[in-house]
Amino acid sequence: MNECDILVVGGGPAGISAIRSAKLGADVVLIDDGLKLGGQLIKQTHKFFGSAEQFAGMRGVDIANKLVSELYESGTKVLPGATVLGIYEDGVVNYSKDNVVREIKPKRTIVATGAKEKNLLFENNDLPGVYGAGAVQTLVNVYGIKVGNEVLMIGAGNIGLIVTYQLMQAGIHVQAIIEATDHVGGYDVHARKVKRLGIPIIFKHSIKRVDGYNSVEEAIVVKLDDRFNPIPGTEKKFRVDTVCIAVGLSPLAELLWQAGCEMKYIPELGGYVPVRDEDMRTSREDIFVAGDVAGIEEATSAMLEGTIAGTEAARSLGYPVEDDELEKAKSYLNQLRAGPTGKKIRIGLEKLLGKRHSFETNATIHKPSKSTMPKNKRVPVVECFQEIPCNPCEASCPFDAITIGKDINARPSVDYSKCTGCGICALKCPGLAIFMITEDYSDSESLLEIPYEMLPIPRPGDIADGIDRDGNFVCEVKVLGVIKGKDKTNLVRIIIPKEYADRVRSVRVKEYKNDKIVCRCEDVTEKEIVEAIRRGYTSFDELKRLLRVGMGPCGGKNCREEVLKIIARETGKSVEELEVGTYRPPTKPTPFSAFKNE
Amino acid sequence: MKEGSFVRIEEHPILTFPKDRRKIEFTFEGKKMVGYEGDTIASALIAQGVKVFSYSHKSKRPRGFFCAVGKCSSCLMMVNGIRNVRTCITPLKDGMDIRRNDEDE
Ligand SMILES: Cc1cc2nc3c(=O)[nH]c(=O)nc-3n(C[C@H](O)[C@H](O)[C@H](O)COP(=O)(O)OP(=O)(O)OC[C@H]3O[C@@H](n4cnc5c(N)ncnc54)[C@H](O)[C@@H]3O)c2cc1C
Ligand code: SF4
Ligand code: SF4
Ligand code: FES
Repeated sequence: MNECDILVVGGGPAGISAIRSAKLGADVVLIDDGLKLGGQLIKQTHKFFGSAEQFAGMRGVDIANKLVSELYESGTKVLPGATVLGIYEDGVVNYSKDNVVREIKPKRTIVATGAKEKNLLFENNDLPGVYGAGAVQTLVNVYGIKVGNEVLMIGAGNIGLIVTYQLMQAGIHVQAIIEATDHVGGYDVHARKVKRLGIPIIFKHSIKRVDGYNSVEEAIVVKLDDRFNPIPGTEKKFRVDTVCIAVGLSPLAELLWQAGCEMKYIPELGGYVPVRDEDMRTSREDIFVAGDVAGIEEATSAMLEGTIAGTEAARSLGYPVEDDELEKAKSYLNQLRAGPTGKKIRIGLEKLLGKRHSFETNATIHKPSKSTMPKNKRVPVVECFQEIPCNPCEASCPFDAITIGKDINARPSVDYSKCTGCGICALKCPGLAIFMITEDYSDSESLLEIPYEMLPIPRPGDIADGIDRDGNFVCEVKVLGVIKGKDKTNLVRIIIPKEYADRVRSVRVKEYKNDKIVCRCEDVTEKEIVEAIRRGYTSFDELKRLLRVGMGPCGGKNCREEVLKIIARETGKSVEELEVGTYRPPTKPTPFSAFKNE
Repeated sequence: MKEGSFVRIEEHPILTFPKDRRKIEFTFEGKKMVGYEGDTIASALIAQGVKVFSYSHKSKRPRGFFCAVGKCSSCLMMVNGIRNVRTCITPLKDGMDIRRNDEDE
């Protein structure tokens, strides 16, 4: 039988960080059952939060590549595509690779198996088309497959928000996000990103059922009362082909149960979690844990826990350890969890470790303060209103103009006297929460620069739609140019009327630019009419019913003749031969009340 | 759902998906289909518009994938005569014979 000092189960951020033990001299083997190493990171196309020291500001996929190359450099023996099946009393571990089961006897085992998505009970929840949000993210971002066209997202936590945004990036339309509570569970900056795209977050609602022949065709959503019971008669129907479930993760802890580790049910940490000490050692002396399996959290904390577990496992085998590094990881982990968004984790850990912490602030979203920004130069507007563990803005500014300070949960503040207006922070912020503005670009116009990660990318000279923070149209804007960031975040530079400088926060490429408008009241284009005629709608009345052409307040005054000319052209007839269509009163818009009084 | 390359993402603001990948031919319920190098069985099927991977044993309800990472067993199918293969984490290979895992067969 093979032997080794330390076996790491799981090749996500936690497992790979545990190979620190190999750097301390231990003989380490890592087993992972994914098709690719990197765990959850391989499907994360967004830039991560956290501390810049800990890869924040980098995209998950890029962090995965970096970690994996470190793994191979460390001298660890890696067994990818292998599944650990069991950990026994005597420490023997068996695993299967290529359909063959083998055994290995490590002195220490670090379990870093991550988590699985939670299920949700509603009628017909097994119908194809109902998928885990992470599953859809895998198919879209790893395999490049569009799983559907119209999606309903269930859950407004970080996963629901992030996956929604990523689906929109892939050209898949999300109709709405349904959330059972009355607030966004994820970060405010993520919620703002999806709101700017015009996706509504519907609070105090849940999904009731899905229907369809062989796969989802519609979803029924219902309002909830204050005790989360559905209110009859409030059902709403969504025509969608996909429903994504994003209601949380639970630790993947079978191996720990099997191994006889003591487990405790702690909802704040995602369900049953292993009882462990601050060194990440479980009730079994030879088994350590790290990452989501020890409590659902984030990649940054998973990496830190991996480092701690790896180091302590090596120390317990007598390898010399420098305490500084370890203390740094531990204190950093505490800092991360110290903010308002870490409250749930802290409560969970208190229950687990039997300790009390003192701070109990809630994750409030602060009001924007009246700004004192200079108007005559290019400066950043930072719309980051919640205390979250994140600092790439501070770390990226070459002129020390942004301060977060020692507490990584503090909000950024800008010293405009130091700021040179270079725009680096706006390209770096993972929340896309920093906009560059030159308010007095001219007497009547401002120049706004918007972080942008969608397709199509607006082109210089384009007239585009200026969109507000909630996804509503504000005004037309002129695209001056696009600054392409190294990591694919772009800054779209737009000219807007000054009065809208504080309202426009997003830009949308016009779908129907350069169209010839036949009916002004209903925005019907020549192209639409020609297409309809070719599909067989060849009279004015038919086109009117189909496209609403001529149904607007003008009563068809402006368009009837134009439409008839197009029909004539397309059908090879003359205008005189065509039916002119029925005329209906009134000939000018008249309120109903005017008739009643007659 | 529409068939063919429509469901493959061609343009993406962040990611690039390789364009000239090798084609892999396989059969689903005896019908010829094509996937690409790098596909799993599940991703190839979905790209062909196949959403129903099996019918449940007891009530014969249509089932598709759910987790896509090998954890939920919702995607089990019969591959080259072997039952209960987790198609979401099994790479697609040339000539695979893929069938819904119907017990009554
Ligand atoms: C949509 C989404 C967005 C996120 N965004 C952020 C973010 O912005 N910032 C942030 O910090 N975090 C984020 N996270 C969280 C972060 O990705 C996870 O917390 C982190 O990946 C946990 O790391 P891990 O190593 O514990 O587990 P994982 O990454 O899940 O890795 C576990 C690995 O173990 C393997 N494994 C499991 N069982 C076995 C077995 N029996 N045998 C062999 N191998 C096994 C798995 O295949 C997997 O590769 C996000 C998560 C999701 C889903
Ligand atoms: S614009 Fe440049 S100088 Fe100003 S805060 Fe941002 S990074 Fe610093
Ligand atoms: S502004 Fe700073 S703290 Fe806020 S999300 Fe952006 S990088 Fe993070
Ligand atoms: S879809 Fe869950 S195991 Fe394949």
